[in-house]
Amino acid sequence: MSETALSVSNVSKVFGGLRAVDGVSLEVAKGERRVVIGPNGAGKTSFFHCISGVHQLTTGTITCFGEDISNLKEYDRTLRGVGRTFQISSVFSDLTALENVLLAMLGIKKAKWGVWTPAAEVQGARDRAIAQLENVGLLGKEDLLVKNLSYGEKRQLELALALVNQPRLLLLDEPCAGLSPAERHRLSDLIKALPRSITMLMIEHDMDVALKLADRVTVLHRGQVILEGSSDEVRVNPQVREVYFGQV
Amino acid sequence: MNKKILLPILVLAFIAAWPFIGGPFWMSLMTQIMIFGLVALSVDLLLGHAGLFSLCHAAFFSVSAYTVAVMQVKFGMPTEIAVPAGILMGTGLGLLFGLSVRTRGVYFILVTLAMGYVIWGIGYRWASFTGGDSGITNVPAPTFFGFKISDPMHYYYFVAVLIAIILWFYNRLIKSPFGLALRGIKSGEDRMRSLGFSPSLHLYAAFVASSFIASIAGTLYVYYNKFVNPVSASLHVAVEVVLMAIVGGSGTILGPFIGAGLVLGLRNWVSTFFELHLAVMGLVFIAVVIWAPGGVMGLIRRFLERTKG
Repeated sequence: MSETALSVSNVSKVFGGLRAVDGVSLEVAKGERRVVIGPNGAGKTSFFHCISGVHQLTTGTITCFGEDISNLKEYDRTLRGVGRTFQISSVFSDLTALENVLLAMLGIKKAKWGVWTPAAEVQGARDRAIAQLENVGLLGKEDLLVKNLSYGEKRQLELALALVNQPRLLLLDEPCAGLSPAERHRLSDLIKALPRSITMLMIEHDMDVALKLADRVTVLHRGQVILEGSSDEVRVNPQVREVYFGQV
Repeated sequence: MNKKILLPILVLAFIAAWPFIGGPFWMSLMTQIMIFGLVALSVDLLLGHAGLFSLCHAAFFSVSAYTVAVMQVKFGMPTEIAVPAGILMGTGLGLLFGLSVRTRGVYFILVTLAMGYVIWGIGYRWASFTGGDSGITNVPAPTFFGFKISDPMHYYYFVAVLIAIILWFYNRLIKSPFGLALRGIKSGEDRMRSLGFSPSLHLYAAFVASSFIASIAGTLYVYYNKFVNPVSASLHVAVEVVLMAIVGGSGTILGPFIGAGLVLGLRNWVSTFFELHLAVMGLVFIAVVIWAPGGVMGLIRRFLERTKG
């Protein structure tokens, strides 16, 4: 557990005059489950975009499993085992659920350039994709176009896309947002059951979900880390209460 | 499973029987339809699968046609050299023009439009080499290793068989991981990046493949037509092949050919009794876009689904 999976040092992202992420540093140990919380506009998603490579950094460095990935393109980071889900479901709505998972599987392989063997028949891809769909609770939906799936099912699929390649570092951006309590319960159980070989960084608004899953919690506010600690420490911290509920 | 085999067999049987049903005129028109359908198919690899609207495919088509014509007529080269050279030149141009995949949306359309104009301008103005307005005439019948294809019916079957082979490869291509990736890019390019794809590389490869197919069509066209002039590089042709793909059904294999049949068939028919046939064509396109955005193939699919359920 002592080995560092992700080391973020003094990372900033500036949009015009807005410092969305402002000098954030944190370290996540291998196998750790870290939850990032913070009020709306705290810069949580921007911070995730910095790690996964959607945003190029304004300042700072990011090291992932000992390798500096600060200047790598998004797809290069994916090839190095960084997987993520998005806050707003961004699955491929014109494709079937199976094709979605196949794309995710092919993305990190040379086989994505194949022009002869049908995508579903590449090295048992179909079986693995179906198994992954079953894992997230979408068995039997594989041939449906994603635009015909429910919102909750799209979130499950979103998770399947991130999990199918067994990433070393998994970034989950509010995986349970917008789900019914029952669906939320199911999904958080699923996340909880993931192997510890996956180091996890997760944004979550729902405190019950967050505290159930987190080893440690980082609190962001206005782009800066204001606290890092265990769930209990965060729960009772007056400064955290202040940014969430306003001054009493 | 049976349906999947039945349709190609029906189409092949129809194509094989057509010269005997239609006679020389309709056979010639069908040759033209197959060739332009192939150009429309090349455009649709980008449009229907990758979501890129190209207006420069007349350029690949005409550059390969011109290359064949120049080599055969001006330099007396044999077909075995002229055809590969034509395909190479068209595809080479695709390697260059493919850099346009750095742009998206309306910018892509504008960049390809401008590229198409450059080729048209060269064909039109570089008269000493391209023959200018009148182009290059008297292209001989193709001769492959001693076999001369001078009979129009032989050429018809030659084109049909060649296109059948191309379609077989094309069908594999669009079902392959590469084809799936193109559809992924069309559906959500940003997400493809996060899955480890580099969309621009895939689009570039698709663009070059597409120019390759258009170049093959160009060589078929010049031997069919016996001459080539700047009209083949014009915006008119570039737009028409896109419309063929859309009218027939974008994103399908048969659609571009059905579209080519409709466009060329209508033009031949309407122009016999109405001077403003282009206006009629325009109305047809507007009707398709409004009432049948999936084109003819889309209508057929909708009809089949309704009768089934």
